[in-house]
Amino acid sequence: MEHTSLLERILRGAALTLVVIFFMFPIAWIFMMSFQTNETILRIPPQLIFEPTLANYTALITGKLVTAAGTLDIAFMRNLWNSVFLSVTSVAVSLLLGVPAAYAFARHKFRGSEDIAFTLLSFRFAPALLVLLPLTLYFQKLGLANTYIGLIWVYQLICLPLILWIVRGYFEDIPADIEYAYRIGGHSWFATFRKIALPLAGPGIAAAGLLAFIFAWNNFVFALVLASADKQPVTVGALAFITSSGIQYGQISAAIVLSITPTLALALYAQRYLVEGLSLGAVKG
Amino acid sequence: MTAATTVHRPSGFRISKRVLPYLLSLPALLVCIGILIPFLTSVVYSFQRYRLSQPWARQFNWGDNYISFFTDPKFWNTLEVSLLYAGITVVLELLLGLGIAMLLQKRSTLNNFISIMLLMPLMTAPALAALMWKLMTNPGFGVLSYLASLIGLQDFRWASSPSTALLTVVLVDIWVYTPFIMILLLAGLRSLPTQPFEAAALDGVPRSFVFFRITLPMLTPYILTATLFRLLDSIQQFDIIYAMTQGGPGDTLTVFQVEAYLNFFQSTNVGRSAALMIILWAITYFLSNIFIKNWLRLRERARGQA
Amino acid sequence: MHEKEKDLIDAFLRGQVDRRGLIRGLGAMGLAASTAGVLLNMGQTRALAADFDWQAHKGKTIKLLLNKHPYADAMIADLDNFKQLTGMNVVYDVFPEDVYFDKVTAALSASSSEYDAFMTGAYMTWTYGPAGWITDLNEWIKDPAKTNPKYAWDDFLPGVKNSCAWNGKPGGALGSEDAKQWCIPWGFEQNNITYNKAMFDKAGVKVPGSMDEMVAAAAKLTKDVGGGVYGIGVRGSRSWATIHPGFLSAYANFDQKDLNVSADGKLSAAMNTAESKAFHKQWVQMIQESGPKDWSTYTWYQVGTDLGAGASAMIFDADILGYFMNGGTNKMAGQLAFAGFKANPAAKAPTPNIWIWSLSMSNFSKDKDATWYFMQWASGLDHCLFGATKMDFVNPVRQSVWKDEVFREKLNKSYPGYVEMFDASAPGASIKFTAQPLFFDLTTEWAATLQKMVAKEVPIDEGLDKLAESINGQLKEAGLG
Repeated sequence: MEHTSLLERILRGAALTLVVIFFMFPIAWIFMMSFQTNETILRIPPQLIFEPTLANYTALITGKLVTAAGTLDIAFMRNLWNSVFLSVTSVAVSLLLGVPAAYAFARHKFRGSEDIAFTLLSFRFAPALLVLLPLTLYFQKLGLANTYIGLIWVYQLICLPLILWIVRGYFEDIPADIEYAYRIGGHSWFATFRKIALPLAGPGIAAAGLLAFIFAWNNFVFALVLASADKQPVTVGALAFITSSGIQYGQISAAIVLSITPTLALALYAQRYLVEGLSLGAVKG
Repeated sequence: MTAATTVHRPSGFRISKRVLPYLLSLPALLVCIGILIPFLTSVVYSFQRYRLSQPWARQFNWGDNYISFFTDPKFWNTLEVSLLYAGITVVLELLLGLGIAMLLQKRSTLNNFISIMLLMPLMTAPALAALMWKLMTNPGFGVLSYLASLIGLQDFRWASSPSTALLTVVLVDIWVYTPFIMILLLAGLRSLPTQPFEAAALDGVPRSFVFFRITLPMLTPYILTATLFRLLDSIQQFDIIYAMTQGGPGDTLTVFQVEAYLNFFQSTNVGRSAALMIILWAITYFLSNIFIKNWLRLRERARGQA
Repeated sequence: MHEKEKDLIDAFLRGQVDRRGLIRGLGAMGLAASTAGVLLNMGQTRALAADFDWQAHKGKTIKLLLNKHPYADAMIADLDNFKQLTGMNVVYDVFPEDVYFDKVTAALSASSSEYDAFMTGAYMTWTYGPAGWITDLNEWIKDPAKTNPKYAWDDFLPGVKNSCAWNGKPGGALGSEDAKQWCIPWGFEQNNITYNKAMFDKAGVKVPGSMDEMVAAAAKLTKDVGGGVYGIGVRGSRSWATIHPGFLSAYANFDQKDLNVSADGKLSAAMNTAESKAFHKQWVQMIQESGPKDWSTYTWYQVGTDLGAGASAMIFDADILGYFMNGGTNKMAGQLAFAGFKANPAAKAPTPNIWIWSLSMSNFSKDKDATWYFMQWASGLDHCLFGATKMDFVNPVRQSVWKDEVFREKLNKSYPGYVEMFDASAPGASIKFTAQPLFFDLTTEWAATLQKMVAKEVPIDEGLDKLAESINGQLKEAGLG
């Protein structure tokens, strides 16, 4: 890569700029709309100049939406909290279940291992719509309807296959010799797993966890169908601004910004892990 | 055979060695296995004449729901559109994702920062993203329509015209999901060993040769993983298409999930909806099988070389 | 509450002070109008309690499933009165309109006993009723032991009330003798014209009085107003929601039907008649010439948003959509006007198809009597008056509310033409669809066909013949044709 010509550097820069514009422009536009009301958002043609207002954010954060018809309560912060809680716990449970399983598939070729691994992945094939009605029926019988535990269980369908298949790759790329050497030293299997395998695959686990987190965050059909209003995630909360008395684009934009923020903060914090960590062969050095 | 199995384990470990992997993987399986019951229930539904609005007429009609698909042009349209949509989005996102990953390959603070920023579309819930795109492509208020008119596309109809609806929805899909592929491939690129590339540079091997003969083959396991997960999601796409066009205009975008959703929630024709979903499931199962087989083979080979 | 205010309210209830005098009096005491309304209702609550045992279900709790809607907002604002009146507790789940009916279908199809009563549209009861999810409310309405003597079931607008009653037989006439009252109308929408006065003046266009005039007016507005403004907003998304507003209202004005019902109760498609084809031609031409450019994605909020932001000159859609666009922070707030619309020059009056937000009782409710207590209060005159005068509970379904001077004056003040529009079209307002369980299948396909016609993918005659053929096939397959 050292011998890049000036022309190539310019072309690369131009290409990257185009990429950034394509992916970031809508985000930037949404960000700007979050500081406006319909009055300035809905102009023909659209314009860049506006007087920013914090009204959307104030309404979302305080839960008081002032309309022509009076003050209405909105539960957006509650939705946001539900999203955080559901995504974090679901991913945590998925990691707890998925990481040991991934290790088993990577390290031990056992009878039926590929079948079990494929079965686990295949849960991701089932479209949510397919299982929705029976799931609701059974949940009601089991008393899981409208509980966080029930939701976290269903969220495993989203998180577990992803974590399992990405983390498995990392474990497979850790040379078995390292672990073997440690075992020879008289350490137990568990100590080896905990002290050697887990730290070596750590970045991969973090990265898979973050991707699973994003997918869990963006899902809303399960919560919508299986739980009552107080357990709805942020996506459902944001849809509340499409009402019979009009659509509030400013508030939806602010809701999007607020809902991206936690995930973005997490991604920035885990930046090093995320980019380096997804490298299956990171430890080969 | 893999290195792991040929290693001589210390004695005393052998007993648990047989049980251990099951012990490790079974909890995950058990947690997921619960979902098999609703799944099987839905298989049963798919063999029934089952409309919620006509409970008295509910009965087994065995394969009727499936057989009727063969003569139903709407079903064939659904199959065609779904495969087309999945094919286009996955291929374009793969190419674009790979391209971006290569642009960002060099480790630098700026590149790392950009790669995280580019994840933001992925963090936007697709249903909301589609809503915003709908506004941005509105002929009056939409900034994208305005920009399009500046470059001479005066009357571009985006999602509302049958000739551009697929294109528009694919564009939104690309916007949302390319970052997913990008981040996986970026990680893959950065993890590649440096020796082969240095050797090739020393020998003055052409860049295209390096790309096709060294980079791509070494990157294939990553490409397969990314493609697999993207394909599974893409063929089941609902949020973006439904929020943008509800399957229209006409029957332009009536993909599996849109059809099944309308059948279930609006027509409450549970039998037909379940049959559609089972077919979708079968297609996904078939495609993933191919992918997994190749993935395993490639990884075996890769490890054989190591 | 202060004694002075209490006295004033009681004076009103005794008939010594009229309604306006009361509100003015309370206003002078420094009470906001909506607070005054709640207080007034509190007074009436005491009056209500006089000759009916409202406390029979004291201590019980019922749960509602509500759509995020001004009607629900008005109810919630007045809910304390109900709690005080009955000693009951009411909890509720509010879901966004975009996903509301998915939630309802999911809850009911799983026989969930979580919700006792819920908001619904009359069309939905054509599925929910036969499915056994909701209860025939006649059992309660007609039982004087369970319904308070002031409920006045006859006060409901007959066309609206009957539109919520169906005997469950596919093709059965709405409001027939043997009909079951699947839901109680709460608030409803007539489909008429809301227009931008300034734009009409600028283009020199009069309010259209027929389909021909509407096509011409819309074209002239598109041409002459300028600034990218288009002539007429109607819905166009691939959904039943495209068929039921303006489109079906005008269609029905030409005496056209969606389905024919034969003597032996068999259904068949009726939209490929010569008159229907002529009407479809006009409608399609109107959209192509002067509708929104991205019409095929348009649902209610886009139609409304465009009017409110001044991107369209008129809409032929729900009157209350125009009502909301004429208030709030909309750019065109206060500049809109309303008119009834008669598509057929030979017709005597407008015949708007209507959307009715109603209340249904879940069949899985564990205490239906208690649930009915809430329903009769929520659809009772006092709450209806409170909602109509103090909140945005338009259009109310009770005739007496439409006679209420405060309400009429409120509308006349800021919604020019609204009352006249209502008076002209309310007698002809009812659901114009044939009640049958395939409603959503058929209307969605109808909308998809319209989209193909507007995109010129299929000629109108051929498109309608194909649609009729497909619908007949589906009706047969479902055992209805």
